[in-house]
Amino acid sequence: MGNTQTEQMNVTALLGWSLQAIEAIDKLNRPYVVVGPPEFQDFADKNEIQFVAWQFERLNERSNELYEKLSALNTKLAVPVYEETVEWAGALNARFSDDPRIFNRSLLLRDKGLMKRKAQMSGIKVGVFEEAYSKDDVYRFLKRVNEALIKIDGDPNDPIHVKPLNKAGTVGHRLIRDAQDIDLMNEQEFPCLMESHLDGQEFSCEAFVHNGEVRFLNITEYVQLGHSNFVPASPSLEEWRPQIKKEIQKLVDAFEIKYGVIHPEYFISPDGTLNFGEVAARVPGGHIFELIERAYGFSAFQAQILCSDPDTTDEELEAFFPEEVTSAKGYAGSLMVYPRVKLIEKLNFPEGLKKNPYFEKHDMFIPVTSKVAERVGFGNHYGTIFFFGKDSEHMSSIMKQYQEYDFYL
Amino acid sequence: MGVETVSAKEKFKQGLQVLSDAKPFAKSMYQTNVFQLGIELAESKEGMQAIYENASKFDEAGVFFGGPWEDASKLQPPLVGGSLKLKGVNSIIELFSEMRMLAIAKGDYHHEKVSEKEARSFLNEVLALNLDLLFPPETEAARVESGEHIERAERLFQYLGDELSFNAIAGKIVGEIERLTVQRPIMVERIMKMIHMAKRMLEAEIDQKSKKSLSAFDKAITFPTPVSKKYKDLRKYQSHLKEMDEPELIEEANAFAKSVNATGLVSPHHATFTRFLNRANGDLLPLAFDLSETGTASFNVNKELIHDIIQLAIHPETSQSIYGLGRMLDRGVLTQDPILPAIRRLLELDIHSKVKRSLLKPEYKRGAITANGVLVAGTVSVLGQPLGVGQGLNPTCQSARAISLWAQHGIGQLLEYIARGARDNDIDVTFEGEVIHASGLEEGVAGGEIHQELDPVSIVLVPHLDKIYNEMMKRTLLRGEDGHKWANPEFYGEWIPRGFINFVDPLTGFVVDYPAFVRLFYATHHPEYNEGYEMIYPNPVGIFITNVHGKLLGLHAVSIQRIAEDENGEYRLYFYNPNNDSGQNWGQGIEPSVSGNGELEGEASLPFHEFVSRMYAFHYNPYEQGDTYMVEDELVQKVEDIARESWGEAYTWAE
Repeated sequence: MGNTQTEQMNVTALLGWSLQAIEAIDKLNRPYVVVGPPEFQDFADKNEIQFVAWQFERLNERSNELYEKLSALNTKLAVPVYEETVEWAGALNARFSDDPRIFNRSLLLRDKGLMKRKAQMSGIKVGVFEEAYSKDDVYRFLKRVNEALIKIDGDPNDPIHVKPLNKAGTVGHRLIRDAQDIDLMNEQEFPCLMESHLDGQEFSCEAFVHNGEVRFLNITEYVQLGHSNFVPASPSLEEWRPQIKKEIQKLVDAFEIKYGVIHPEYFISPDGTLNFGEVAARVPGGHIFELIERAYGFSAFQAQILCSDPDTTDEELEAFFPEEVTSAKGYAGSLMVYPRVKLIEKLNFPEGLKKNPYFEKHDMFIPVTSKVAERVGFGNHYGTIFFFGKDSEHMSSIMKQYQEYDFYL
Repeated sequence: MGVETVSAKEKFKQGLQVLSDAKPFAKSMYQTNVFQLGIELAESKEGMQAIYENASKFDEAGVFFGGPWEDASKLQPPLVGGSLKLKGVNSIIELFSEMRMLAIAKGDYHHEKVSEKEARSFLNEVLALNLDLLFPPETEAARVESGEHIERAERLFQYLGDELSFNAIAGKIVGEIERLTVQRPIMVERIMKMIHMAKRMLEAEIDQKSKKSLSAFDKAITFPTPVSKKYKDLRKYQSHLKEMDEPELIEEANAFAKSVNATGLVSPHHATFTRFLNRANGDLLPLAFDLSETGTASFNVNKELIHDIIQLAIHPETSQSIYGLGRMLDRGVLTQDPILPAIRRLLELDIHSKVKRSLLKPEYKRGAITANGVLVAGTVSVLGQPLGVGQGLNPTCQSARAISLWAQHGIGQLLEYIARGARDNDIDVTFEGEVIHASGLEEGVAGGEIHQELDPVSIVLVPHLDKIYNEMMKRTLLRGEDGHKWANPEFYGEWIPRGFINFVDPLTGFVVDYPAFVRLFYATHHPEYNEGYEMIYPNPVGIFITNVHGKLLGLHAVSIQRIAEDENGEYRLYFYNPNNDSGQNWGQGIEPSVSGNGELEGEASLPFHEFVSRMYAFHYNPYEQGDTYMVEDELVQKVEDIARESWGEAYTWAE
């Protein structure tokens, strides 16, 4: 009996291999299938995880094959885990729900140029931006931006940023101050997006959206972009929550986001003006999901899955999400460690930090290969230190204290 | 509301619980934390205790899930030390693994596949193999270089040492030392190190037999005689020698001789004694060297040369060569006339500066010993202990085997190579009419890097020989047959018969006509099938090395020295293994013995068919063989079965 029932239940597809996501959906007791690179097939078989091997390259004429495969398993919903799977989820969900627009919406999230344009057209405040197709475009943009800032000869330039149109977070990001910086760019980096520099404190939000409505909004405070952040944000940032929430809803409406999680980044100036940076519709980096779970006690992976499913009821969501900010048991933070040496000789974990009551755990070992890999974005940190405590200022100060510390020698 | 602080012990327990609760596929996410907390706990003895208290839960929780340590019954003691000494996460997993084993050994954890006894013997072997961790050297340098993972490993071993009896370990170590010394290697550093470390166990509760054996070994490398024990300082010892009368000196000489005879190990005092006699009372030297009648005769005829050799080459730092000198005289090496000038030449040879640098290790420099002294000491050792030549940590079994062969049957050629290598830093060999110069070659089997813990002769020759051998093999690459067929006779010399067989097809890699191979070996080598032809020179053969489970580890080169009946009338094959550690366990009950079955110094032996089952190539004389069809089918089948169930599993057998 039980079996036939399972067979009839709708199956959720996780796009991308993430043990955390798999564990989360497994604990939800809902049938699922994982779509991931073929090298995980053996592991999946051994552990009786329903698995479809797939290489997420560009969408192409073969994409239909994946739909057929998943459909045969009675899959009715696709949840993206990684940046590269967002448009796949869009394409699949468009077919599952027979709503082609879902796919087009997902593309908005995968092309930073389109994304900015859409935001701007919807009255969301963004910096000046343009797509660049050659180095000449970058020279011109840098010049024009600084002219607009009424810089005269000899004044230092205001920097601009360039980044790939479709990569996660900080991958491929460059800060351009002058012509030399442009010379360092590769032809392969084009086309890319150029933006004027936005001052202010950067932070990210994780908004869990169901039926077009933000059901839970987490604000993650960045102590240093890509290195350290904590959840929930400090009172001085949380003070702006109503404004932030309004902005997020504007974003959700503009991008016609109906279901799932979005992870936008903003800059907030001291007077509360919010500038939109970018938005992704996937699991955020920086261990933010883990921090949310530590602070609030619910699994953000499960939240993403529940919110991605149109069939999830309001009651279920109400029961699932706790109250924002006030229900947090404390501040949960993570400090990501990148070796600053070429060859790692030893781990240098400070005794004082281990004894700090805010210190929870870390996952650093001397890696088997002592040669340090080149950094791509903020993607491949070598270790993470987790903190938990009651005071956001103290949290911030510990992170700043160890920002420059060499954990690897 | 303060965040509660939990003790590391408690955290560890919680971490294990979380891991335990996780489904198998998710375990890897929670293992890291358990490892981290384990590292923290392992910083103290109490923490070690806490790890042990939880060890019976490791398997159930999934601490080893998905990794090489998962199945306790598949673990191997020789690999433990290496993992513990690695930086990184493996060292802590290895530590957990030992704790699990200890829990099994003490009966606190019942394991389906590993018994208490097996676990205990596993740990005893681990301790015996890693004496440096059990008794860490107390020098400052060692400390500074160690690092926290080494300290952690040492703490683990202290813990294990306290939990296990030293008795069993002592037995293992003594057995190991005995096994190694009985083969009489030239390089004894490893043995000395073991003795030095095991010495500390003399104070612990160990059985009398082990204690006696251990202290005898310790005496042999330190103060083997009553007088040396009294005058531990070499200078005082030498001054005292001057005051001793003849009977006292004779007694001293006998005491040294007895110690060396029993162990093959020589103490520095023995060198001082030898040098003293060399100056003051040369007639007592045959006693001090424990010479046979042949040796004494040879000594008497060559007094002057031996005097010079001792003067130049025998020092406390090179004392081990005294053993080689004695055996060289006993072998009658100096009775061959051309050898005398060839050795004398080495005393004054103008040694190439590069070679000088590699010969003069720091301790020799400190002792102001000349490069010629080191070279002669090494030459004497090789000529006295041809089967004591070892390849060290290099994959250069071929070169070691060559030096050993020449030291037995081609002394003139060996001395020529030594002189050429030391003076010119080059050797040339003619291969199929073309001269190959080692100095013109880039790479050898060892990739151009030779590990320097070798005897002086090997230091001089192996870099060249290795390259030449490699070059010869390269030149035979496209012939569609195993190149050893051509390379061996020209590399080793005329002692190698021209017939050659290798059953691995070089094109397909398949095993071809295995039964024919077995029959041919019996018909050419087994006295009951080969028409009574005796082996004259050692036969270089290729064998598969297998581990204790019979699994293929790799290819190796050894030499068959002789074939003879043992005491029980069983035919055995006596062979030389250039790794100087012949008594390894090859699995399937095949364990070469190094003594007790009629082995000579440096030989290992196996029953005939067992050895054949590991062989893949040999040379033979096609004019001296019996009829292959006389070899019984059952015999061939028996060998083939053993072969197929061991290394044969890694090969495809052509039908």
